[in-house]
Amino acid sequence: MGSSIKNILCLTLITLAAGAGLGYVYDLTKEPIARMEAETRQAAYRSVFPEADQFTPLENDGSIPGFSEADENGCEIDSAVYAEDASGSRLGYVINVTSHEGYGGDITISMGIDNEGCVKGVEFLEISETAGLGMKAKEPAFKEQFRDRTVTRFSYTKTGAASDFEIDAISGATITTTAVTSAVNAGLEFYEKIGGAGI
Amino acid sequence: MIQQLIIIAIGSAFINNVVLSQFLGICPFLGVSKKINTAAGMGSAVVFVITLASAVAGVIYRFILVPLDITYLQTIVFILVIAALVQFVEMFLKKKMKGLYQALGVYLPLITTNCAVLGVALTNVQKEYSLLEGVVNGFATAVGFLVAIVILAGLREKMEYNDIPKPFRGMPTVLLTACLMAIAFFGFSGLK
Amino acid sequence: MKKCFASLYNGLIKENPTFVLMLGMCPTLAVTTSAMNGVGMGLTTTAVLIMSNIMISMLRRVIPDGVRIPAFIVVIASFVTITELLLKAYIPSLYEALGLYIPLIVVNCIILGRAESFASKNNMIYSAFDGLGMGLGFTLGLTCIGIVRELIGAGTVFGYRALPDAYEPLTIFILAPGAFLVLAFLVALMNRIKLAAGRDTGVTGDCDKLCRNCPNTGCGGRMRHDGKADSAEGRKR
Repeated sequence: MGSSIKNILCLTLITLAAGAGLGYVYDLTKEPIARMEAETRQAAYRSVFPEADQFTPLENDGSIPGFSEADENGCEIDSAVYAEDASGSRLGYVINVTSHEGYGGDITISMGIDNEGCVKGVEFLEISETAGLGMKAKEPAFKEQFRDRTVTRFSYTKTGAASDFEIDAISGATITTTAVTSAVNAGLEFYEKIGGAGI
Repeated sequence: MIQQLIIIAIGSAFINNVVLSQFLGICPFLGVSKKINTAAGMGSAVVFVITLASAVAGVIYRFILVPLDITYLQTIVFILVIAALVQFVEMFLKKKMKGLYQALGVYLPLITTNCAVLGVALTNVQKEYSLLEGVVNGFATAVGFLVAIVILAGLREKMEYNDIPKPFRGMPTVLLTACLMAIAFFGFSGLK
Repeated sequence: MKKCFASLYNGLIKENPTFVLMLGMCPTLAVTTSAMNGVGMGLTTTAVLIMSNIMISMLRRVIPDGVRIPAFIVVIASFVTITELLLKAYIPSLYEALGLYIPLIVVNCIILGRAESFASKNNMIYSAFDGLGMGLGFTLGLTCIGIVRELIGAGTVFGYRALPDAYEPLTIFILAPGAFLVLAFLVALMNRIKLAAGRDTGVTGDCDKLCRNCPNTGCGGRMRHDGKADSAEGRKR
């Protein structure tokens, strides 16, 4: 009996020490993690809307439809910010969209749209697709296809894009292509819903 | 609701098969697949433990870790819970359900470090599944494991007396068989 | 000092965890879709392995025999979580690439296996070197598999184009079946070299021997060669 009490006591002590140690490291890294996430986000915003100087959050007071509801393509608007120039006048929006239909999990993109409805760029905030396949979405050859296009809906093609609304699919990664394209389309739809330049 | 659960179940059991596409639980998959009987026993034990573990881990995550805001402890808590649960189930079966213990007992201790169990608990958290969805996901994942390991064992029994080139004897052949199975399971992705 | 280098050699070549001991198969197959991921996973595991080996070696006289395995698991799980937090804070790209497989380092047979068979019997410095050797051996294995898969499956190595553009990549190699395929051929190659050298001391990856020799009592360590597991009493010895 004595030995089992000793065993339990020892294991409890080790677990407590481990828990305390983890708590300490968690506290230590909490701030760098938050800072890193904020920095990644800012960098993404700047890259999808190079003309903007600052970004202010668009408050979701419940009056804007389509927030945090997955549409029929499994895409969901996470958040949106106003893209503003140095004097604070609005140039457009940056919209963050998550698609649940990726091959390796959720794909979160950030996309910039100016007041004329022109897509200023697309950047990935979170993507865990197969390296060398779906991950090619991160390469400029794919994501730059969205830049500076004014369309209401994108579609992908495997036979070489011919018109403005068509983009070339990533070969061998149709699921990723579909997910990213529908995420961009969901963003465009959301942009229409909030009234384009109206708000 | 039901439809959602069916989608999760089919997805975890076949499309994203735990062994053949996510590579969790490879150790028992390769190690305990020599005979169909043992493979089926191992598989059933995994179904039992994973279903139970995803329920318990889900409850602990939802009602203890989240309210206390210590979700960063999830890995350590889950693995301890799984280890304790396996011990407990073993003791319970030994005392109360002799028949089931004889069928599954020997495999239970091997499951603690089967990464599929921890993998499912972590996936449930990552994908933000509800408690019910988590249990269904766990059950389906384990069924996927059972199906895969029984098929592999069947194939290995068939190949036992084949004349295989010497360097390929043992593990390489098993891995090649698994490779062909993985290709076959790709067919299921058409279900999506 | 000589013993330290011996354990480095041991981990890298003689008892290479991937090709000789066949331990830690899950990450070996899962994250080697590119050479870079292989290196990242390997080094992350090395870090955890060194730290847990040192800690377990320090605590080896304190931990009672009866709760040895749970105590090791707690130590390992804490170091894995610490590594996870640090990666998230300072190398987020690696954190994203490895995803779920970082917390799963906890159940990697290599770490518990080394804790049980080496660190709990040797002093701190040897244990640290053993962890380094085994970790680097694991990294070597993952990198080899990663390079082969990336080269054939995407035509690149570490992200740089290695094959001419005319080469049409065989995508299957970076998908799930490719992992099994490449590992099968690499193990067969090892066997071929061994057979040619005349050291016919048993083919690597022979499943029966594999499970009998596995040092990890938590994993397949108690599997006998007839495919039946020892009774649970084995653990409570």
